[in-house]
Amino acid sequence: MAGGRKPKSAGPAPPSSTLVLDNGADTIKTGFVTGDDSTTDKAPRVIPNCIARDRHSKTYVGSELEKCKDFGEIVFRRPVEKGSIVNWEAQKEIWDRSFFDDKAPQKCDPSATRLVLAEQPNSLPALQTHCDQIVFEEYGFSSYYRGIGPSFNAYQDIQAVFHTPRTPDTIIDVPAEVILLIDSGYSHTTVTPLLQGRLLHPAIRRLDVGGKLMTNHLTRLLSVRHFDMRNETYIVNEMKEAACYVSLDFKGDLDKTWKGTRGERREDYATGAGIAKDYVLPDSHTRFHGIVRDHEPGAAARARKSAVSTEDILTLRNERFSVPELLFNPTDIGLRQPGLADLVMQSLSVLPVGLWPGLLANIVVVGGNAKFDNFIQRLQVELLERVPDECVVRVARPEDPIISTWLGAANFAKHEHADRLAVTKQEYEEHGAAWVARKFALGLGLDT
Amino acid sequence: MNNFGVIEVASTATKTTPGWAYVPDTGGHPSLPAALQPKNRKRAAARNQPGLSLSDLTARQENKLRKDLEALGRDNQREVNIPIPHKSSTSSRSQKHTPNVRKILQSQKTFANHLDDYQALLALAESNPAAVVNNPLLFMNKPLASSSASGTPAKSASPAAATPPPTNKRAAAAAKRAAAREREEERKRAKMVSLAPPPPTQPEQQTEQQTEQQTEQQTEQQTEQQGDAEMVDVPTTEGQQEEKEVPSYPPDGTVLPAYKKPPPVAHPGDGDPLLVSVVPGFPTDEELRALMTAPPLNYMEARATFGEEGERYPTRVFCEMCGYWGRVKCMKCGVRVCALDCLEGHREECVTRYGL
Ligand SMILES: [Zn+2]
Ligand SMILES: [Zn+2]
Repeated sequence: MAGGRKPKSAGPAPPSSTLVLDNGADTIKTGFVTGDDSTTDKAPRVIPNCIARDRHSKTYVGSELEKCKDFGEIVFRRPVEKGSIVNWEAQKEIWDRSFFDDKAPQKCDPSATRLVLAEQPNSLPALQTHCDQIVFEEYGFSSYYRGIGPSFNAYQDIQAVFHTPRTPDTIIDVPAEVILLIDSGYSHTTVTPLLQGRLLHPAIRRLDVGGKLMTNHLTRLLSVRHFDMRNETYIVNEMKEAACYVSLDFKGDLDKTWKGTRGERREDYATGAGIAKDYVLPDSHTRFHGIVRDHEPGAAARARKSAVSTEDILTLRNERFSVPELLFNPTDIGLRQPGLADLVMQSLSVLPVGLWPGLLANIVVVGGNAKFDNFIQRLQVELLERVPDECVVRVARPEDPIISTWLGAANFAKHEHADRLAVTKQEYEEHGAAWVARKFALGLGLDT
Repeated sequence: MNNFGVIEVASTATKTTPGWAYVPDTGGHPSLPAALQPKNRKRAAARNQPGLSLSDLTARQENKLRKDLEALGRDNQREVNIPIPHKSSTSSRSQKHTPNVRKILQSQKTFANHLDDYQALLALAESNPAAVVNNPLLFMNKPLASSSASGTPAKSASPAAATPPPTNKRAAAAAKRAAAREREEERKRAKMVSLAPPPPTQPEQQTEQQTEQQTEQQTEQQTEQQGDAEMVDVPTTEGQQEEKEVPSYPPDGTVLPAYKKPPPVAHPGDGDPLLVSVVPGFPTDEELRALMTAPPLNYMEARATFGEEGERYPTRVFCEMCGYWGRVKCMKCGVRVCALDCLEGHREECVTRYGL
């Protein structure tokens, strides 16, 4: 802590190595930041955050899933539920094998390491406390900060994400002055306005639509229309990631993919209208992942009839866009929550109107769902319909929206804010878990 | 023509197909001109039927919807129990856990269980504030009064107003469930603990004892943070820096620096006097301070709802079979389908489930 009075409890200098951990429900993003750029990870390792069991009763923990070839009927145990670490028995096993066991690929000595851990906004206090207790009492990290994932994104060069034109000598603001950060992940989608890296807590909103719900919805559609995929979550999820997109003309696309009424031959349906795609399912012998192909009328039927065919083909039509549509119209499945654009407007509505232009011109979308084609375009179009004409609406996603929070957190770890916010093991032992939780909840406060 | 048990569904546009007239459901498309009205009398009459909204759903449909949504929230389609596999690699780490850690690792509570606990705690706080006055789990999210750097309550930030507190009935039910589970966990723990050696320390008690100190510590912490604060974006004068020990507020307009950069996107119309935009007044420092130091909302408060004004658009309804607009309703079960083709497909299932 620079300047000011040093409390007598101030321990030694902060550790030179920081383990940066974005502990998502689907994947953990992890890497080390050290004082030396040459030993600092430039990108995180991405580890499945699950314990999985395949149909041959083989169990995989975390990164071991890479060794799995046959994902048919695979089932998962996930320590993170609704964005928070809930099951520590499972989480500890995954962390141990990743960081702490003798042969761990990212071996870490907690007693000489600071942990920077990203969490979801608006978590339950009991779960936050469990996390803090495990970090200090089980692992003994020497220093620790548990921060809200979206806020870490402010420690990146956000204007680069927008390709804002600027001169080479432009000073990059870190943390960024103003961002409206949308994080759309496995469990849900959150809207978080940020000023200078500070969360505007009263305006944070959550929509309970995430990657899991969309995959499950696709599973249901396919099971009604094609064949039972209810035990094939992994395969359906791959299909979703490969073939689904956000529609810019929902009504038009729906019309083009309708087979029509009885006896009617609709041209668009017959040809696929550029929307229909054939998805070749993995066969768990030679093809371990599915393949997307342009729709070839009759291919699926031929494959079914042919005795020698080795391919199972599903033709995807409105499933391609009606699944990500749930982000924008959750009521389509009876979920009584506003869609993403209205969610943004609700968030803005509790903020002074003077902040709107800055926030609307700096909307950044991160998380796995940001990878859907047209996601940011659709959000921009819908927001333009809702804001005053003179407002500039810019929506962008980082190059890799999945690791964006980690990259931001890694920059944060090098920033003086990390020293200001982190607590030491000694402080935890002196003041207790409640004190730590309060300090984290208080955040940076104001600079002035 | 086989039109058993079919009713047309009211909507705002028509489309005629040979042999049968369907009424497309265009709910949710505000861009669609309202001028597209049904043209013939029969359909105009159909329009007088109430549109299907969630409140019109039968109890059976409501129940199905709830179950469907629950299913969509699952990690696996069926219940699975995957035990932690035996470790092949060795760990040099000690296997001893602190009592806190042991308790956490043994807990089999789900997120829903924890949410119930939290809601029960909130309900208790509402009915008997004295009972929870020292419970850190309830108040750790809310900074102490002294922590609001501006010293003013966050007026523009009144989160509680956004979401009504849980109804007493629900909260009471949650409390009951939580209490029952707590007893269960307690019993399990008691079993475990009786087998294990007595815990060397009781950190929970420590925490209790420290509650008093916390207030002091917290204040100290806050003062210290203010004292440490480095002005990153705003150039400070020597005088201000010397005053570090005594927190003092800078003049207006320093929480956020003035916007000194070019506008984000240049537009050919920028110079046009007719297009000059009216920039809304920038919030005062007071407002910004309140916002930037406001406490977090809790999990329920942050969940987006439609609020009092309700849904903006009518709910869109789709064909249960193929996903096209659900313009036709099965009289037997209320399921919506797009046309006769899908209705026939649906009928098989409907008959098996509900009989003829
Ligand atoms: Zn249909
Ligand atoms: Zn029916």
